[in-house]
Amino acid sequence: METMMMKEIGDLSRSSSSSTASRDVDFACAWSNWEPVADWAPFSAPVADDFDDLVDSMICPDVALDDPAALSSMSNTSADTPIDEEVNTYATAGDGDDKDLRLVHLLVAAAEALDGPHRYPELARVILVRLKELVERAGVDSGGGTSIERLAAHFADALQGLLDGGVAGRSSVRDVRLHHNKADVLTAFQLLQDMSPYIKFGHFTANQAILEACLDDRRVHVVDFDIDEGVQWASLMQALVSRPGGRPPPPHLRITAVSRGGGSRAMQETGRRLAAFAASLGQPFSFSHCRLDADERFRPASVKVVKGETVVMNCMLHPTMAATRRGRAASVASFLSGAAELGAKVVTMVEEEDDDEREDLAAEEERGFAARFMAELRRYSTVWDSLEAGFPMQGRARGMVERVILGPGIAGAVNRAYREGKEEGEKEGNWGEWVTAMGFMRVGISCFNHCQAKLLLGLFNDGYKVEEDGINKLVLGWKTSRLLSASVWKPPPPPHLLLPSSPPILVGTTSSSGFTTSFEDSDFIFD
Amino acid sequence: MFPSKKPTMNSHDRPMCVQGDSGLVLTTDPKPRLRWTVELHDRFVDAVTQLGGPDKATPKTIMRVMGVKGLTLYHLKSHLQKFRLGKQPHKELNDHSVKNAAAALELQRNAASSSALMGRNMNENMHMNDAIRMQMEVQRRLHEQLEVQKLLQMRIEAHGKYMQSILERACETLAAETMVNSGGYKGPGNQAAAVSDMAFPALQDLHLYGGDQLDMHQQMERPPLDGFFGAEGILGKKRPADPYNSNGKSPFLWADDLRLQDLGPQDQEPSKSDQLQIAPSSSVIDADSIANVYETKPMLSMNSSGDKKYDVGLASAKLDWPSPRRAPHPMEMVNPMMAGSAMPQTRNLSYG
Repeated sequence: METMMMKEIGDLSRSSSSSTASRDVDFACAWSNWEPVADWAPFSAPVADDFDDLVDSMICPDVALDDPAALSSMSNTSADTPIDEEVNTYATAGDGDDKDLRLVHLLVAAAEALDGPHRYPELARVILVRLKELVERAGVDSGGGTSIERLAAHFADALQGLLDGGVAGRSSVRDVRLHHNKADVLTAFQLLQDMSPYIKFGHFTANQAILEACLDDRRVHVVDFDIDEGVQWASLMQALVSRPGGRPPPPHLRITAVSRGGGSRAMQETGRRLAAFAASLGQPFSFSHCRLDADERFRPASVKVVKGETVVMNCMLHPTMAATRRGRAASVASFLSGAAELGAKVVTMVEEEDDDEREDLAAEEERGFAARFMAELRRYSTVWDSLEAGFPMQGRARGMVERVILGPGIAGAVNRAYREGKEEGEKEGNWGEWVTAMGFMRVGISCFNHCQAKLLLGLFNDGYKVEEDGINKLVLGWKTSRLLSASVWKPPPPPHLLLPSSPPILVGTTSSSGFTTSFEDSDFIFD
Repeated sequence: MFPSKKPTMNSHDRPMCVQGDSGLVLTTDPKPRLRWTVELHDRFVDAVTQLGGPDKATPKTIMRVMGVKGLTLYHLKSHLQKFRLGKQPHKELNDHSVKNAAAALELQRNAASSSALMGRNMNENMHMNDAIRMQMEVQRRLHEQLEVQKLLQMRIEAHGKYMQSILERACETLAAETMVNSGGYKGPGNQAAAVSDMAFPALQDLHLYGGDQLDMHQQMERPPLDGFFGAEGILGKKRPADPYNSNGKSPFLWADDLRLQDLGPQDQEPSKSDQLQIAPSSSVIDADSIANVYETKPMLSMNSSGDKKYDVGLASAKLDWPSPRRAPHPMEMVNPMMAGSAMPQTRNLSYG
């Protein structure tokens, strides 16, 4: 038994060091020109050694791993076990950047312990216990701690949630979205909007694309995935009633909210609120609600389309606000596929961007939990960094945003990263690539839209930037990292318009050119 | 800046000579220097104006227009350079035009100076129409940008208004729910007062938006974000604009801080916050955290008591609402009525 265990541990040690080392190569380039909260630079080089040391230190020969008592003592906080001391010295020596780096190391070590064919939940528990001690010492729970300490605390909680088998870290004290009342969540949401361009960037870019697509239409029908509170549509209504060039009256706007089965009361509430807002502007408006199927699929037939109206589909896959739930990928896929059947004029989409993923999509499939965990850690530390720059460290507004919005977001992201490897249909890749493969065509982003995004970013602290990626996509970035993208697409012609000889799915630009004539789309630029 | 003294043949150490009827005053150095008399400078300015400004005018064209004998390109070149430099008081504004609406407007107003920038970059020998075309292009871009800016601002306002309405609604709902849950909790009056305190400025805010937002011109002249608050008028205090400038810009668009200021000191009783601590909701921490937002932000001049007040306001907002309002949309609410009747009433409840 013992020999077997030791062998496995050897495997773990080797595999983790090798995987870490191989990632180092990938990350080295991206990370070296990136300015994170902590100094990550040393991370790329010595991590493999450090990590091995760490693992060795945890699996010191003094402890018999096959002894259940020893295992349980590992998960306790008793400070007199050798392991604890090892971890302790490892974790507490040094200050400042070293300390931050240590936190990251511990997080990654904990994630590695949950990765691969051999999972060591107990090992992860020990690391998490130590991590929590560290962040508690820093006073994170009482609103103190450095930026990176708070970030680490959220990730530690998320991992703890995985270990406890809870849903998205529900058990953790700091994951408070469920305990927070609606007003708190909204307040934090509002604060986030005021602190960063994350939300408005997506909303405004998508709205402007919709406006341009429906410039001369008399009836506009927006089918919206995950409408949430409907915040996006207030500014669209405003824009519709004040369309330049004196085009009265404003077109009739209909919004169909696509949501899961539950929450129809919230949906009605959103509808009422939107209607009231529209009335205050003099915008003709109607609202309807469309539920996803029992299997969380979108059925285009369930959306009523009036003849003569322009259908537009909007898909906000916002990382921080998106409900992290099972099967979202399938819902999104069915929603986007429905665009063709509904004959949508444009599809607007906002999704997260990843820095490294685009380079090795092939390797993507191979990425384990630890790698995905790292990606999330990096993504959120970019977010953290951007907030840090605008709203210095101990800001209470930031604290609230972190606790109420970002913390649960992290828990969800880690949970998703964990499930991704285990469950089918959980993988959410790059939707832009997915719709391209589905035969969607690119619709150019206008100069106005680009300019608007730039001006918007100008209202926030320095460091945000917007850049074009292809003709149909604007990417919101922070320093050298990409955060979000907003893109505009045109679905392929609906199936019944296809000629019999046509392939069921249009691929690339060659086949798409044959169909452009069947649409009044001369305004659009096709790639 | 330029010689104001009427130049005569006065006694200088250098001998001078007047050259014929053109009246040029030159030194007798090997490289004769020209004395720019007031008359000569006036003629120069006339010529420059005639040519469409200091940046379109080139030494060559000026020489042609002035038609003064003996005036060389060398003279004109250096004088024009000085003239251009002297005419650019707004250079710095130009640099920030992309980011700053106010600056952009200023820039447009001073079209001459914007072209001055360009002119400097341009080769002096560039053809006139190129210069004009470029200036028109700059003007067009500026105009477009202003248009985008205006629309963006309106969109942000709409966005903010809508968010505000959601928040108010959430507070109401929550208050109603909590009232049901907390049953015979002793001091609902207190909280009601605080709730209304919290909500009112925001509502007034919305009322004022309508009138305020169309006045783009006025808003453009302020730092852009200032306009987003759109609420200065409410309390009769102008928020100082300077902090925004010194801060670069502030993304903090929420008019919520008004609530802080609106909570008059008379609402504050130490016992009130004590009561809140034992209130059923556990969100006191959050309120606290929100309150301190303002502490850390330099542009919000908060006195120390202010955030404590707010503290109470927000915390209590989550607690109770004895007479749930049924107003469907904040736009339709009448503030004076609420402020005049509801609040005193609830206050009586608490202290009476």
